Amino acid sequence: MIGPLTQVFRALVFVLIGLILCGIIFEFAGYSAWLMFQSIAEGAFLSARAWQNSLRWALPLFLTATGVVISFRCGFFNIGAQGQFYMGAIAATFVVDGLTGYPPALVIPLTFLAGIVGGAVWALWPGLLRVRSGTDEVITTLMGNFLAGLFLVYVTSGPLKDPSGTGQAASSRPVEAIYRIGAANSLSPAIIAICVLVGIGAWVLVNRTSFGVLSSLAGRNPIMVVWQGARLSRLGLAGFVLGGALAGLAGTIEVMGPIGRLSSGMLPTHGFTAILIALVANLSILATAFVSVFFGGLAAAGLYLPVLAGLPAAAIDIINAAIALFITARAWPKRLTNLFRSRRSAA
Amino acid sequence: MTSGPNAIECRGVSVEYGDVKALIDVSVGFAPRQIHAVVGQNGAGKTTFARVAAGIVQPVRGTLAIGGREVPVGSVGAARAAGIELVHQSFALPPSFTVAEAMEFGAASGRGVFTRGELQRRWRRHLESLGVTVSPRERIRDLPVETQQAVEIARALVTDAKVLILDEPTAVLSPSGIDNLFARLRVMQANGVTILLILHKIREVLSVAETVTVLRGGRLIEGPIPTAETDAGHLASAIIGSGLESLSTIDREALVGADDEPEHEATTPAMAAERSVPVLELRGVSTRADTEGPALRDISLAVGRGEIVGVAGVEGNGQRTLVRAVADLADLARGAIVLNGDDVTRRPLVERRASGLRVIPFERNTEGLSLSSPLWENWSARTLLLGGLLNLINPARLRRDCDDSLKTWDVRFSSSSQLAGSLSGGNAQKVILAREIDGTATLIIAAQPTRGLDVGATAFVWRALREAKARGCGILLISSDLDELFDISDRVVVMLSGRISGEFRPPYHLGEVGAAMTGAGR
Repeated sequence: MIGPLTQVFRALVFVLIGLILCGIIFEFAGYSAWLMFQSIAEGAFLSARAWQNSLRWALPLFLTATGVVISFRCGFFNIGAQGQFYMGAIAATFVVDGLTGYPPALVIPLTFLAGIVGGAVWALWPGLLRVRSGTDEVITTLMGNFLAGLFLVYVTSGPLKDPSGTGQAASSRPVEAIYRIGAANSLSPAIIAICVLVGIGAWVLVNRTSFGVLSSLAGRNPIMVVWQGARLSRLGLAGFVLGGALAGLAGTIEVMGPIGRLSSGMLPTHGFTAILIALVANLSILATAFVSVFFGGLAAAGLYLPVLAGLPAAAIDIINAAIALFITARAWPKRLTNLFRSRRSAA
Repeated sequence: MTSGPNAIECRGVSVEYGDVKALIDVSVGFAPRQIHAVVGQNGAGKTTFARVAAGIVQPVRGTLAIGGREVPVGSVGAARAAGIELVHQSFALPPSFTVAEAMEFGAASGRGVFTRGELQRRWRRHLESLGVTVSPRERIRDLPVETQQAVEIARALVTDAKVLILDEPTAVLSPSGIDNLFARLRVMQANGVTILLILHKIREVLSVAETVTVLRGGRLIEGPIPTAETDAGHLASAIIGSGLESLSTIDREALVGADDEPEHEATTPAMAAERSVPVLELRGVSTRADTEGPALRDISLAVGRGEIVGVAGVEGNGQRTLVRAVADLADLARGAIVLNGDDVTRRPLVERRASGLRVIPFERNTEGLSLSSPLWENWSARTLLLGGLLNLINPARLRRDCDDSLKTWDVRFSSSSQLAGSLSGGNAQKVILAREIDGTATLIIAAQPTRGLDVGATAFVWRALREAKARGCGILLISSDLDELFDISDRVVVMLSGRISGEFRPPYHLGEVGAAMTGAGR
């Protein structure tokens, strides 16, 4: 049996291949690959300031990725983290905006509750469709992402529109300073505390409860747990709802902390990066923490690329896509060989 | 009688699947225009041998000659061109095809464009000439299993086949269906076809074949020897081999189907069972139709404490639905299910399990185990489900308990963290037994618990069921192996089209049970 960290190390080898491939492509496109890697390293990890930046991006990603891990372990490919992240952020903004003037001790918990519920609800309906009528959750959650994205455009230019806004993107009024849990684009003890608590809770849930064992069995062979008497719909819905709730929590944190407002089209790849993290981490909570820091670093470095390497910031998206390609390429042959192995032993 | 070169001749054939040696240096030849049997236990290499002869499996070493001419090994095209056709163990006809379409599919020649009527005309005569009474318009999936097999054989004969290989053709047939099949094979033999039958019942070998060849552990043990020169006792020893002397004679015979009418020791009918409350009672149970098999129709059945009730029947007559109904996995239309005196009709499986129901499901690798999960997770699933989902667990202790339990069940494994898929079939079944047969079990549903297991593992499962029975468990044993049922059941019921068509007590008579399986004589 290989430990989860060894598996992550193996996955990181594929990440490395993805990076090298991108380096080659950029080199051919006329950029300096060496300069690119250098600026990624500097922007992500080579100074205290860089670390702070990396963690600012890593922590919300960690929350969403943890939710993805829980959902995937149950065997459901809930790829709607992005939409659930948006819905959490939207619900939170409605509450914090609507309750402006009330004491923070009331407003902040209610905002978080709303954000968590918003994300959870956005995962609940694809979950219900899945367990009640077998609707493919990949389709529904993917469509849910688009709906949530468009809803975000609507609320930021409609009900929650900041009338004084002059920026390119429509956005809500900034969250009042007394309700913020962190300054603009920075870390705060509150966010770190939330992530540590969620991390410990998720680790216990996955590794130290009946739910953890049964959901992992159900994820690998749902038929077997049904014959054991498990209610698959319950395990599955729990996975969906927890995944949505954590993405919603991440959305709330962005609104209440680093970003400080809701804006149209904010962090459009957050949920997908979280899925990538979960896959690289091989659905282990502990590994998710480390992998999140790595991808947080990439996100932070994205801001440096235009300055140092003259690359567009979107280069980070290309890098992420290349990594996604290699990670799935790694995952598939293994699954296929497993399939053939079970076929043969059945024959 | 034998003239000319052998119809099939294998020289030094060895086949390996990864680390597993399926055939080891097998050299054997079969004379033309005879019916030959190849026998052996599960896993002896019979099917692999058939597949090598048909060109489906590529041996690592060895040669194959058909009618005296060497053909390249591992090429289906070459084998078919040389006149070899294989009828598979599990049928390979597309269920949505009509009979005529299936025939055309088998024939290599065809213009490519034709009307349905043309096809039907073309194949009606072929079917008639083989004595298969079926309309070429019917769809494969609507045919009874015996007709499907007849169509499959007819499809194998659309080309000018000189050698017909049938892999376990009797497994899906009732006793009278087997007689019909054998009669049909004799007609084909008279027409000059060489027939190679893969079988595992000695009784059948002696009644149809002219020669018999025994494989064991991938090696050729003996043969082909004329069946006239051997007997059941000798063949049983050759098939089972040494090392299993501890088996009782009755188990030995049941394992290979050695006797025509097995003499049974007087099993004491579970008398206590009839006085006390039965552990399982089905009262007029009917289920709604679904896609997984025929619905149950008005099934009434009781299993007493310390009683083994066998369920016989041609596969696909509702046995699976019966198990699913007891496990709350089928939709009941009418009737009641009573466990230990409590009506559990409306209770979920997890509650039924809490009151002592255990299920050894049909499909070990999908319903019984999660092959890509560690052993300890598979093993602890049942007990974890008795508690709440958020109950804290101690994985180290579960792994230790699992280790202990699997050791007492004689599972060969290295660590409870290894994946269930890394175990052999027999060991995997023992993991399921370790999980399902515990001190608090009151009713064990054992669905085909020995299918695909070797002799040693089969005997182990029987012993486990008998021990559970001695502790007072009721056992419902579903099996398509009549010898197995007759050997260990106190009572046998027969299922036909979702109903119970007969109930028998020892001494069992094959003919009577067979008649109930097909609905003959009623």
